[in-house]
Amino acid sequence: MILEIVTPELTLFKGEVESVSVPGINGQFQMLDNHAPVVSLLSKGAVKIFGNVVLDKANAALFTKEDGTTNFAITGGVLEMKDNKAIVLAD
Amino acid sequence: MANLKEIRNRISSVSSTMQITSAMKMVSAAKLKKAQDAITAMRPYSDKLTEILQSLSSTMEGDAGSKFAEQREVNKALVVAITSNRGLAGAFNSNIIKELTRLNQEELKGVAVSYMAIGKKANDFVSKASPVQSNKSDLFDDISYDNVAVIAEELMELFVTGEFDKIVIVYNSFKNAATQIVRTEDFLPLKPVAKDEEAIQEQKELDYIFEPSKEEIIEELIPKSLKMQLYKGVRDSWASEHGARMTAMHKATDNATELRDQLKLTYNKARQAAITNEILEIVGGAEALNN
Repeated sequence: MILEIVTPELTLFKGEVESVSVPGINGQFQMLDNHAPVVSLLSKGAVKIFGNVVLDKANAALFTKEDGTTNFAITGGVLEMKDNKAIVLAD
Repeated sequence: MANLKEIRNRISSVSSTMQITSAMKMVSAAKLKKAQDAITAMRPYSDKLTEILQSLSSTMEGDAGSKFAEQREVNKALVVAITSNRGLAGAFNSNIIKELTRLNQEELKGVAVSYMAIGKKANDFVSKASPVQSNKSDLFDDISYDNVAVIAEELMELFVTGEFDKIVIVYNSFKNAATQIVRTEDFLPLKPVAKDEEAIQEQKELDYIFEPSKEEIIEELIPKSLKMQLYKGVRDSWASEHGARMTAMHKATDNATELRDQLKLTYNKARQAAITNEILEIVGGAEALNN
């Protein structure tokens, strides 16, 4: 699946990932390939990306790596999953 | 015959003006590039946000009834005027001021209008005649989304508490480096969204999961999209300003070059005339001695 993380000021990440776990407003949940279409509000927490992730050098400092996952902290936002493409609009 | 020294002084003053205008042009060109990049960078977020919000509101059953969509009789309006802090940008600021005057005489006639100025030039103009709600000119020191969000929240608060019945923003939208278009956008209240049967059908087929509910997501997204709208306005105005200044300074440099060339020609003519005169005098003197 393809994951995109965008903020109002720039696109932080765009690429192929195995799966992603996001802090939904009703609790953290994980999405694998071909997840059903979903729109969810996100709360404060970490977006965890599973899989081999190639980061842009300029934005690499905003992500932390931790046993196999690449994490990105958000304070809130919204997520849309559709056609095997997940987009996180982070605040 | 013009005084040689006088012309020389004018030439040097025109040349130094030319240096300044061409330096300003370079600076604006560099800043314009950055400002344009910033506009491109925010597009994915704003497009997606608009898309989600649009698809949610057009498929809502019943009215969203958002507190931001409340249509009231307009007694008090707030105009947010976005200009630059500095001049020397051609008609950039005066176009906004013209639009403000027009608004006041046409659409907002008979309405008590207050202003919020973003940019010193707007503040200078509106503070003369009308009540100024606030002056946010220091925003241009650091145009970040967070700073704009603070102002947008203030505007939402002013609308929701009933302080103002209508809020519009006036800014220069960026078309290209040479063209800016003055735009007047309604900020609040929100326009009602038309129901879209096709979108409803499509959403049913896709069987979307909404977490929590559509209504709650919309309530959460509306402020975000308003913030984005203001941020876009400020960003567009920022890029337009540099575009306008670059064009203005380019013209100024051209004019200065032309003026300098003309002056040089006059200077050379005057010099030639002075030399001819001198030779005539010498020849005349020698002639007189011979006789």
